[in-house]
Amino acid sequence: MTTAEILVVGSGAGGAMAAYQLTKAGHQVLLLEAGRDYDPKTETPMFKRNAEAPLLGAGTPDKDFGYYDATVDGGWQVPDEPYTSAEGSEFMWWRARMLGGRTNHWGRYALRFSEHDFKGKSRDGLGADWPFTYAELAPWYDQTEALVGVCGTNTGLDDMPPSPPGVLQPPPVPRVPELLVAAAAKKLGIAAVPMHRAVLTRPLDNRAACFYATPCGHGCSIGAAFQTTTSLLPMAKASGKLTIVTNAMVKSVDTDAQGKVTGVSYIDKKTGALQQVTARVVILAASACESARILLNSKTERYPNGLANSSGQVGKNLMDSTGANLGALVPALQGRPIYNEDGHTANHLFIPWWGHQAQQRKELDFPRGYHFELGGRFSEPGANIDTSLQGYGIALKQQVKQKYGAYVQFALRGEMLPNEHCYMDIDPEVKDKWGIPVARFHWRWSEHELKQVAHGLQTAKAILTTMGATVDELPTPEQAILKGGQIIHEVGTTRMGASATDSVCNQWGQTWDCPNLFVMDGGVFASNPHKNCTLTIMTLAMRNSSWLSEQLQKGAL
Amino acid sequence: MAINKTTPAQLDTVALPYQSQLSRRDSLKMLAALAASTLLPALSGCEPAPTPVATSSAGNAVPTTEHWPELQLNPITAPGYGKDPNQILPPESPWPLTLTPAQLTLVALLSDLLIPRDGETPSASEVDVPAVINEWVSAPYARQQQDRAVILPALVWIDDEAKLRFNKVFASLSRSERVAILDDIAYLNADTPPRFVRIAKAFALLRGLIVAAFFASSAGTKDIGYLGNTAIGGDYPGPTTEAKAHLAKVLADLGLTEYAWQGS
Repeated sequence: MTTAEILVVGSGAGGAMAAYQLTKAGHQVLLLEAGRDYDPKTETPMFKRNAEAPLLGAGTPDKDFGYYDATVDGGWQVPDEPYTSAEGSEFMWWRARMLGGRTNHWGRYALRFSEHDFKGKSRDGLGADWPFTYAELAPWYDQTEALVGVCGTNTGLDDMPPSPPGVLQPPPVPRVPELLVAAAAKKLGIAAVPMHRAVLTRPLDNRAACFYATPCGHGCSIGAAFQTTTSLLPMAKASGKLTIVTNAMVKSVDTDAQGKVTGVSYIDKKTGALQQVTARVVILAASACESARILLNSKTERYPNGLANSSGQVGKNLMDSTGANLGALVPALQGRPIYNEDGHTANHLFIPWWGHQAQQRKELDFPRGYHFELGGRFSEPGANIDTSLQGYGIALKQQVKQKYGAYVQFALRGEMLPNEHCYMDIDPEVKDKWGIPVARFHWRWSEHELKQVAHGLQTAKAILTTMGATVDELPTPEQAILKGGQIIHEVGTTRMGASATDSVCNQWGQTWDCPNLFVMDGGVFASNPHKNCTLTIMTLAMRNSSWLSEQLQKGAL
Repeated sequence: MAINKTTPAQLDTVALPYQSQLSRRDSLKMLAALAASTLLPALSGCEPAPTPVATSSAGNAVPTTEHWPELQLNPITAPGYGKDPNQILPPESPWPLTLTPAQLTLVALLSDLLIPRDGETPSASEVDVPAVINEWVSAPYARQQQDRAVILPALVWIDDEAKLRFNKVFASLSRSERVAILDDIAYLNADTPPRFVRIAKAFALLRGLIVAAFFASSAGTKDIGYLGNTAIGGDYPGPTTEAKAHLAKVLADLGLTEYAWQGS
């Protein structure tokens, strides 16, 4: 049996940050990753053209986001590791089975939550407050942004708290479709501003600055687009204090007769053998739903409802971001002069939430905000099959060329509130290949999300119309809202709070029930602000690992 | 009408079969081979000598009634490329290809009617678009199998229509006869006669695929003008002077000049 001082489960945003911070503080860390080893330096398909891939690179059930997506052995389905949805529920769960987890392919949007976001319940009575204020977390955002490398500007908007001078790297200049959106939105009183993105525009440590080519979703061998496999993990390994074991699928957290956490049991996927590791401290960072699954599967006589679940909140409060898309062909952009519009291959400008004050004045019929990500540029031709084309011959080619770079899309990403119908538990029947009972999802959007999406569709239509586009009849919000889990921002299943009765963890990610058991992934989120979860997962992991280290040094655990 | 995919419609020998079994990655070689050969006269614009029947019929094609081939397609059962394929060297041939030489020839003819050679820019078949279509309709995934269930009947319909109108398969028609059929199925709007609606929808899918495959090729990507996927040293330069001037005019035309983005 192996023994570790600190055992971390998961090598994504939370786990890698914990490993980095704790090894930096001098601790020995053993990190278990359920997927295979992955080396972006040799495996990233940089500059590969769509035509070189099967099916022009189109997404398939094997590679949902396209042939070159960085996700290895994962996607909406993982072979041999199913999940289920309760009757009447539909939920999509994205997993990666690789070192670095989902950080290898994420969108790299890295927006701070604001004071609004941490105290939503105090403001409108809904959901749950976080057990700290923005001001308490701000210094940790500063450190995380500096370490990760985030480009953007301080916009002064109430939805975007500022970073200290010198922390943010300069953002790339906007492109024509974004500039047209920005002008049309401004006419309607809505600001478009530089996105904050975990992409280097200046070199940092051993990582190069972006060279504005080849999609970040393929992964980034030069380290410009942040992923833990080119940054936190190699940095932590360089300390000599980190040991990584891949293909280690954690089955349960183990406890002794007194109920104290002693380590974990995992399946070595290469051999199928059950292995045990003892540790002084266990940190779960396996992703919100995987960590909750492990806790719920760690049932003992002492913990019949699963570990760290005296509150009954493990698996509850499951939230994703709302998502909806609206796009249109913009006649004014047809046949425009072509230039290289790759940029850093995602939003240079976006539209942050502008309605905090209107919500305060009770002018809106939904409580929480959203933002728009903007799509549309001269992108590399691939498997976009346009069935609206007409005719043939040279005129057909002209049609395609006229439309090229003239389509603009608004992607809404909004905050949802936790509700009693959205949670995960353990399927009583189904087990995965390793004999581990699987997660079962329950899901229903509430009126809050549907009204928010309706507002977003109308707003996007108003902006597109101001740009001179014709927008067809809008879909209903029920038709437009994407499925639960589809935005891949699932959080909340081990939420933190101020009281052991209605939360799983305290503000340090330490479980109320087991002092030497921590959660450092998105499961700890008390709410799910619209701004994409990864930066805050990393910030909390840095802060809470630092607190954990202090406790260990004090001998408190 | 029941036509099994394994017994394709009789192919007249006027158009030689499309023979490429090369991967798209060999398309440059293919291009060179085509340039140096007269292998595919029907693909390079030299149409067969029109027959008296063809010329008269092309002008006043006899309207056909609605028809649609009900094919019994065997499901594709080959495995996909898996959850962890080699991304640096993608598989050359990820699954068995299923189009017959006759079907490939028809796809090649249609490809070049849709995207003919255009000055220096090669035609769709010259950049091996039919091979991409073959890979697509032969793929084991649900979406591609759905597309296969649309495209294969469309190919049979086109030959059936050619036989009904001209007593020949499509590959044996003159250019004007081919165009006569194309004119009936290549437009889908309020004026499309009901008997052509179904084929026009199916043809739109095939056309969309052919167009995508063409523009994804090196020559097609150059033709559409895509300038990215090339490393830039220093900061991203943003819009060119010409692009900025165009945007300024767009903003002015839309009455948005005063709202132009000023930086943040």
